[in-house]
Amino acid sequence: MTLQAPGFWPPTGPEIVFLLLGVVALGSALLVVTTRQLVHAALWLVVCFGALAGGYLVLTAEFVAWVQVLIYVGAVVVLLLFGIMLTRAPIGRSADLDSGNRWAAALVALATAAVLVTVVVSGFRTAYAPLDPGQGAAKPLGSSIFRTWVLPFEALSVLLLAALVGAIVLSRTDIQGRK
Amino acid sequence: MNGTIQAPTIEYALLAPMLVVFGAAIVGVLVEAFAPRYLRSAIHVPLTLLSLAGAFALTIWQAAAKGIPTKAAAMGAVAVDGPALFIWGTILVLAFVSVLLIKGEDHFVAAASAVPGSAEEEQALHEGAAHSEIYPLVLFAVGGMLLFPAANDLLVAFVALEVMSLPLYLLCGLARRRRLLSQEAAVKYFLLGAFSSAFFLYGTALLYGYAGSIDLAKISTAVGSVGGQDTLLYIGAAMLGVGLLFKIGAAPFQAWKPDVYQGAPTPITALMASGTLVAAFGALVRVFWVGLGGLDWDWRPVLYGVAILTMVVGAVLAITQTDIKRMLAYSSIAHGGFLLVGVIATGKAAAQNASALSGILFYLVAYGFTTVGAFAVVTMVRDAGGEAWHLSRWAGLGKRSPLLAGIFAFFLLAFAGIPLTSGFFGKYAVFQAAVSGGALPLVIVGVVASAVAAFFYVRVIVLMFFSDPAADGPSIVLPSRGTAAVVGLAVLATVVLGVYPQPVLDLAHSAAQSLFVR
Amino acid sequence: MEPAEFITHSGGAIGVAWLMIALPLVGAAVLLLGGRRTDRFGHLLGVVTALASFVVAVLAFVQLLGFAPGERRRGIALYDFIPGMATKVGLLVDPLSISFCLLITGVGSLIHIYSIGYMAHDPGRRRFFAYLNLFVAAMLLLVLADNYVALFVGWEGVGLASYLLIGFWQHKPSAATAAKKAFIVNRVGDFGLLIGIFTIFATFHSLKFAEVFPAAHGASQGTLTAIGLLLLVGACGKSAQLPLQSWLLDAMEGPTPVSALIHAATMVTAGVYLIVRSGVIFQAAETAQLVVTIVGVATLLAGAIIGTAKDDIKKALAGSTMSQIGYMVLAAGIGPAGYAFAIAHLITHGFFKADLFLGAGSVMHAMNDEVNMRKYGALRKAMPVTFATFLIGYLAIIGFPLLSGYFTKDGIIETAMEHNAILGWLAVLGAGITGFYMSRLVFMTFFGAKRWEGDAHPHESPAVMTWPLIILSAGAIFLGGFLIVGNRFMTFLSPAVGLPEHLPEFNPVSLTGLVTLALVAVGAVFAWFRYGAAEVPAVAPRGSFLTAFARRDLYGDALNEALFMRPGQWLTRLAVFFDNRGIDGVVNGLAAGIGGSSGRLRRIQTGFVRSYALSIFVGAALLVGAWFVVGNL
Repeated sequence: MTLQAPGFWPPTGPEIVFLLLGVVALGSALLVVTTRQLVHAALWLVVCFGALAGGYLVLTAEFVAWVQVLIYVGAVVVLLLFGIMLTRAPIGRSADLDSGNRWAAALVALATAAVLVTVVVSGFRTAYAPLDPGQGAAKPLGSSIFRTWVLPFEALSVLLLAALVGAIVLSRTDIQGRK
Repeated sequence: MNGTIQAPTIEYALLAPMLVVFGAAIVGVLVEAFAPRYLRSAIHVPLTLLSLAGAFALTIWQAAAKGIPTKAAAMGAVAVDGPALFIWGTILVLAFVSVLLIKGEDHFVAAASAVPGSAEEEQALHEGAAHSEIYPLVLFAVGGMLLFPAANDLLVAFVALEVMSLPLYLLCGLARRRRLLSQEAAVKYFLLGAFSSAFFLYGTALLYGYAGSIDLAKISTAVGSVGGQDTLLYIGAAMLGVGLLFKIGAAPFQAWKPDVYQGAPTPITALMASGTLVAAFGALVRVFWVGLGGLDWDWRPVLYGVAILTMVVGAVLAITQTDIKRMLAYSSIAHGGFLLVGVIATGKAAAQNASALSGILFYLVAYGFTTVGAFAVVTMVRDAGGEAWHLSRWAGLGKRSPLLAGIFAFFLLAFAGIPLTSGFFGKYAVFQAAVSGGALPLVIVGVVASAVAAFFYVRVIVLMFFSDPAADGPSIVLPSRGTAAVVGLAVLATVVLGVYPQPVLDLAHSAAQSLFVR
Repeated sequence: MEPAEFITHSGGAIGVAWLMIALPLVGAAVLLLGGRRTDRFGHLLGVVTALASFVVAVLAFVQLLGFAPGERRRGIALYDFIPGMATKVGLLVDPLSISFCLLITGVGSLIHIYSIGYMAHDPGRRRFFAYLNLFVAAMLLLVLADNYVALFVGWEGVGLASYLLIGFWQHKPSAATAAKKAFIVNRVGDFGLLIGIFTIFATFHSLKFAEVFPAAHGASQGTLTAIGLLLLVGACGKSAQLPLQSWLLDAMEGPTPVSALIHAATMVTAGVYLIVRSGVIFQAAETAQLVVTIVGVATLLAGAIIGTAKDDIKKALAGSTMSQIGYMVLAAGIGPAGYAFAIAHLITHGFFKADLFLGAGSVMHAMNDEVNMRKYGALRKAMPVTFATFLIGYLAIIGFPLLSGYFTKDGIIETAMEHNAILGWLAVLGAGITGFYMSRLVFMTFFGAKRWEGDAHPHESPAVMTWPLIILSAGAIFLGGFLIVGNRFMTFLSPAVGLPEHLPEFNPVSLTGLVTLALVAVGAVFAWFRYGAAEVPAVAPRGSFLTAFARRDLYGDALNEALFMRPGQWLTRLAVFFDNRGIDGVVNGLAAGIGGSSGRLRRIQTGFVRSYALSIFVGAALLVGAWFVVGNL
């Protein structure tokens, strides 16, 4: 972080794209919480996540970007949609999506955002890291995971195994007695 | 880079104790999958006990025969140093003892998925169903406990924290009696644990932003060299502190402890009160001393306040408890406060740090054994509906069962830190380090808090010995061999550490001598 | 002269001095663990172990006399407790500790014997003897310890035994409350002692007497003063000195032999022992010494004043105990000139006060456990032996010439007078009040008209109770003269505590002595006219505000309540600490007390996970905030 940071003006191409993607992400996020249709909310979430993935791409973190698309857009949102369908939520506009607490919630969200922005700005105001294409590709990441981070990686797999066993313990009903 | 990934260097011998435990856990899962039901317990119990004993033997062998390594293992992820080996040994023995307790009686629910009070539950109870998955889950938790205090970077610490906690969340909900309370405890523990983990993770992220690394040693270097980003550092360190202090139950993050200790099956409570506390303290000391060591002028006053609050809250609130397990939970909170006194007792000189660390290590051993013993006694005092949890039911226990009440009274005296029990030397070692570290006021608060605590311990003793037993008082179950062994071992440890603590003190001292590797 | 060197010793009776502690301890263990099986012979076992302990003490004493005076501090290493960290455990047999051992085991044995009769009909007699044995063992450990840790263990041990014995008749709520009060007040003192011990260790890096005392002069004045004052706090708690005196009067709820042994003869003098034992530290800290003497004088007056107003015979005697210990503390605060008188008075007081208490017990035994002196009167005919021995004790305590108290108390007064005239004259005044209240007690009990109530048929007590009285009163007559004349005791004690620059000379007709005697006589005569010759009303008259003041223990309880209990209650109301029911009913109503408080507790521990999460969040915010504040300092 000792490199001299170039000025903000004139903005470079990637910077403009990044800003636009940010606007898309923010706008779609707002729509997620304001739309009156539950299914639309889930779909706007796809847009929001997609914009984030685009942001990662611009920052040369391509692997993370694809993970974002695969897991969040592909899996999480689909899970949400399934959830909506399985719980037989109404398709179409529903009047009772709003809560009386929305102003309080908005306030908390704003405050949280303010804290985050303050911390990030005060922490990284002077920091500068040049973008280096290829740094975020699958290969360097993989090599780092299986070299430096191999132990936590394996421990994570153990964690998932434990979670699976736990889920089975809590849910299986076909337990028979020893007798 | 020519298309191949260089293989990492893993010091398997160093990590062997941990690997044995994890390996046994995975074998346990396989047993669940393939062994016939009637055989499972018969395989699990020896497997679990043998793996813990084997891991303990490997730990001893590492420390005795191969010496204490001076650099971090597994690509810098794990620091198997003197304190870590000592803590591993402690955790493994305590886990072994807790497993004996788990196997002792039927503490666990027959079918976790059955709604409490439903016909299904009746049926499961009638058929004698049981969850043998408990053993691999315990091993997973123990593996996490081993990794946590040895974690040399914050990411490993986080993963270890989760590996340790997740099985425990689950095990908390599996009590056979008072099931609703148990499930409530599990959900609370899970939600609050996740909440605090988020703090930990967020703190990690901020510290990464500050130092450009999550390696404790690199953070420590950055504390000395990076300037102008104190906001990140302070918030990051504080958030990390929240995550760690939550696990040891320090005030004001202690609220979960009584509820969870009360609801969990008693053997699991014993495991949490001993093993988790030891592991969490190991990690806390490592993070604060190694990672934030250069920052001690900043965190010492903060922890000072936390320690005072913890001791006072633990000691004062314990007085009004009516549930024996809640009382022990508050006592555990207070002991966490006493241990924090030792964490603060750092100084410029390495000798000061070593004496504080050896005090903490000794305290952990002493407290761990006594608390397991106390919970083991709790499992033996039974009512029609399970353990006799209400204190009033313990009235006059000394007349019905003088031996058991005497043992319990002895444990309580050890908690109170009466001389000739292990608790005395634990407190003494920690307080002495704090005095020589210049924290005299804190020690005075500590002594006052122990005196307040002594009041309620003595009150229980008085209740047991000087009140008339209720006509329909609880019965004392004949302990199984496992439970009897646990109680016996705990008494032995409490006596020996109280009368002749020198060997363990020496051990703790030599473990602490080299301090942490960086 | 400086105290003698510490010499490591083995062999002979001194080598097995640990037996003194072990024997009663084994007795207590057998009686407590043996349960009902030992009911039949339990009391005899208790007596035998106490007597055996006494025999060892006597043998050790004889062996000690065989050494040259300079070699009479014999340390016995028992075992290596924790080398390098705290201290080796060992015992120290020297003139000071052996004097205590003889007193504890001697008077202790007599009281054990007396208790056979006194507790004959009590179903808990075995338990009683077990506790008594436990007490003797702990007290011996306290005085024989060669370091502050073991001393503290014994200190706590006697506290525990005292707690158990005060609350022995736990079915009486007053006894249960008194036991708790003693326990709690003593905790305050014990903290002081504990912190004092910590400070000693922090300063000298050792807790062994043999290592601390020679190094004492090297420490700074401030540290020594702090240590001295902290030790004094401990001494005040155990010895019922102001301002921690309030428990002693209530402690009279215990059986009378307990009052005699623990709350008159031995345990309550532990504070004096502590001060004298740590004399080197006090001598190096003048401020601490001054505070000690002030505490002593204040207590000796307060105790005497309380004694004048009590109608309960045991409480009047308890006030007197406070007062007499005040004399000892005063002498102990003066330094080497006072030590011998403090300990000598302690020993003679052990005899005559035990005699008085046991006499009072004998009276109560005869009067259906009535303790109100207004319902006694004219008992001298009914109980001649008790009367005679009580009279001797009485004469001894008021300092009647040539009896024990005369020599020892007069010695203290003379020394105090030489040290500081104000202290001296206050001590003289105290002696005058002693003359009054003790005479009042004797006249109300044994003289005047019969004011017996109900079916009282006073009778002399059995021989097992009267013989100890006779032996004790023999001590009350002769011991003082034996110890004081020719400075016999001062010389004997010197290897342990040192000698003053010039030895005092016993002067039977000194001005102070004559004034004291005159004041005592005035007090006694005044008491005769008010309580001996005049009619004593059966119900106490209201009296002046001074009387009320004294009756309420000089408002000691009210003061404690206002200064300590109320703020304590207020503090803990946060968590419902001293709930009224909780504090009153530890023994018989713990469950109810807890039940009442748990409701309020729930307000803090709601059980809602959301409020826990909120508390974590707030805590985190506080932590971050604190970090910033500290970081930006």
